[in-house]
Amino acid sequence: MRRFWPLILPVILFVMAAGMGGAEAQEKNDVPANVIEQKLTLVEATVCEKMKRSTPFNKAIVFSSGLEKVYCYTSFDPVPREMVIYHEWYRRDKLKAKVRLTLKPPRWSTFSSMRIRKSDQGPWRVNITDPEGKILRIVRFSITE
Amino acid sequence: MENLVLFLSSIRWQDAVDIILNSYILFRLYVLFRGTHVFRVLIGIALLWFSQRVAVALGLILTSWAIQGITAAAAFIIIVVFRNEIRSVLQAKNLKTILWGVPHQTVKTPIETIVDAAFELAGKKIGAIMVFPGMDDLDELIQGGISWDGLVSREMINSIFWHDNPVHDGAAIIEGNRIKKVGAVLPLSRRDDLPSSYGTRHRAAAGLAEMTDALVLVVSEERGSVVLAKGAEVRTVQNRDSLVRTLEEHIGSTKEQWGYKKKEKRELVIAALAALVLISAVWFSFTRGQERLVTFDIPVEYVNRNPATEIVDSSVNALQVGLSGSGTLIKSIRPDQVKVRLDLSKAAVGRNSFVITSGDIDLPPGVVLRKVKPSTVDVTLDIPGEKVLPVQVDWVGKLRKDLILTGAKIFPAKVKVKGGKTILDTLSTMYTEKVRLDQIEKSGSLKVNLALEPATLKIAADSSDSVTVDYFVKERASSLPAR
Repeated sequence: MRRFWPLILPVILFVMAAGMGGAEAQEKNDVPANVIEQKLTLVEATVCEKMKRSTPFNKAIVFSSGLEKVYCYTSFDPVPREMVIYHEWYRRDKLKAKVRLTLKPPRWSTFSSMRIRKSDQGPWRVNITDPEGKILRIVRFSITE
Repeated sequence: MENLVLFLSSIRWQDAVDIILNSYILFRLYVLFRGTHVFRVLIGIALLWFSQRVAVALGLILTSWAIQGITAAAAFIIIVVFRNEIRSVLQAKNLKTILWGVPHQTVKTPIETIVDAAFELAGKKIGAIMVFPGMDDLDELIQGGISWDGLVSREMINSIFWHDNPVHDGAAIIEGNRIKKVGAVLPLSRRDDLPSSYGTRHRAAAGLAEMTDALVLVVSEERGSVVLAKGAEVRTVQNRDSLVRTLEEHIGSTKEQWGYKKKEKRELVIAALAALVLISAVWFSFTRGQERLVTFDIPVEYVNRNPATEIVDSSVNALQVGLSGSGTLIKSIRPDQVKVRLDLSKAAVGRNSFVITSGDIDLPPGVVLRKVKPSTVDVTLDIPGEKVLPVQVDWVGKLRKDLILTGAKIFPAKVKVKGGKTILDTLSTMYTEKVRLDQIEKSGSLKVNLALEPATLKIAADSSDSVTVDYFVKERASSLPAR
């Protein structure tokens, strides 16, 4: 067996060297993949009656105008860097409010609220947009009696 | 004065044609039927009709109704009773005569009768003097005389110049087939060259002949001769044929035909004017009398629109159009006879405002436009386009307090709508019709129509105009206070 070591060892070394080289290449190839994953991602967007300990309670699509406020909750993971997003509140197609919210890495949850009155009854939507104005999601709900 | 100007300005060329055409028809009826019994009955019917109009104007309901009935019956009766006369008028004349020609009523002087009478008087040595006027007017030269206007006959001529007749010394004036005047005194001639045998009768004949173009025939009482005087010539007529020829030459070439034509022409002109006046009066009574007002709601038609555009909105769909005219016309008018057409050839994309003018409204003849309400119409044009829009449910009403509507899934989630691009650009959501929450107690599904607002929007053919909504309900979390 010892006789064969001089022959086997170089082969083993070569194979190991070749294997290590492949891993490096894999790592290099994964770099751009990691960058994509680091893109701002909206994981949840919802409208609710209340926020309790930064968590939405009673998520719904219909709210009574007897409530004081309606909340729009959004959660992002990951957040690649500190950045801003917007919550644009529309009643039918009329913009009622545009709220600027700051996100911080690595993940972030945030919300905006809209004070509602009796005259605000009707269909609403919140456009969640990135700093460039690209709509990430639209959340729709109604204010009723 | 202002009313007169308004009235004149309201007369259209169609009205003038209407009056002239009907006047001509009436005039032709007169020309064709004059002198017949039919014409007299027609006049009677016209009077009945006029009486009926007067009765209507005075509000005599029963009288106007009775006269109307009598007029209608009379019109029917004359067609039956005078069918032969009507047929003879229509059959005896060709189309040109019926439409244009004037049938002359030929009145001939009965020359033969006069000649016979003259020689009969001569034979009996009864003096006579007869005047056949030419073109000249004799009224200023002839004195006295008795108007008679009797038909010429041998017996009557003999009778006029009979010795015991009070007018036998005077002249008889003969025009056409009638003896117009008897016992007329003619101016005497002062000529010296007349034969001494000529008496007063001859001198009178020569006197009138010198001064006018009339032909004067004298029958000598003493010699029983027949003498003719024309111009400066006074000559004895030897025989019957010579007298016939001379009378024919005189009457045929000059006075009767000419005089009659002149008279007939005057009569026709008067008839034409009377027809014009009568028809104008009838036209006025129909179209202007008893002015009435009426209002119609007329839908607006848009014409000459650029095919690349479409009307997406208009301030009104119909206009209130106030019209006036005679009661008869207004009663017979239908709303579909009135058209409101707006010319969009100069309209641009966007909102266009049009002031309605009389040129935009088509009216039946004889009707006058009084008012238009509203006086302006706003029309919005747009370029047609399509857009895919997400659907959102328009919830209304009150959900039970212990329930929460947590979500809804809509099928299809998006629909394609068609409409004006300007409007589509402002839309980002297509809402459903209102969905009431009051009856919802648990999760379920419902079908609801889409609400097309504005109404000019349409759902594309490959999209549905309704959606299915699956909704999800849960009980409100107990940790939260009930509202």
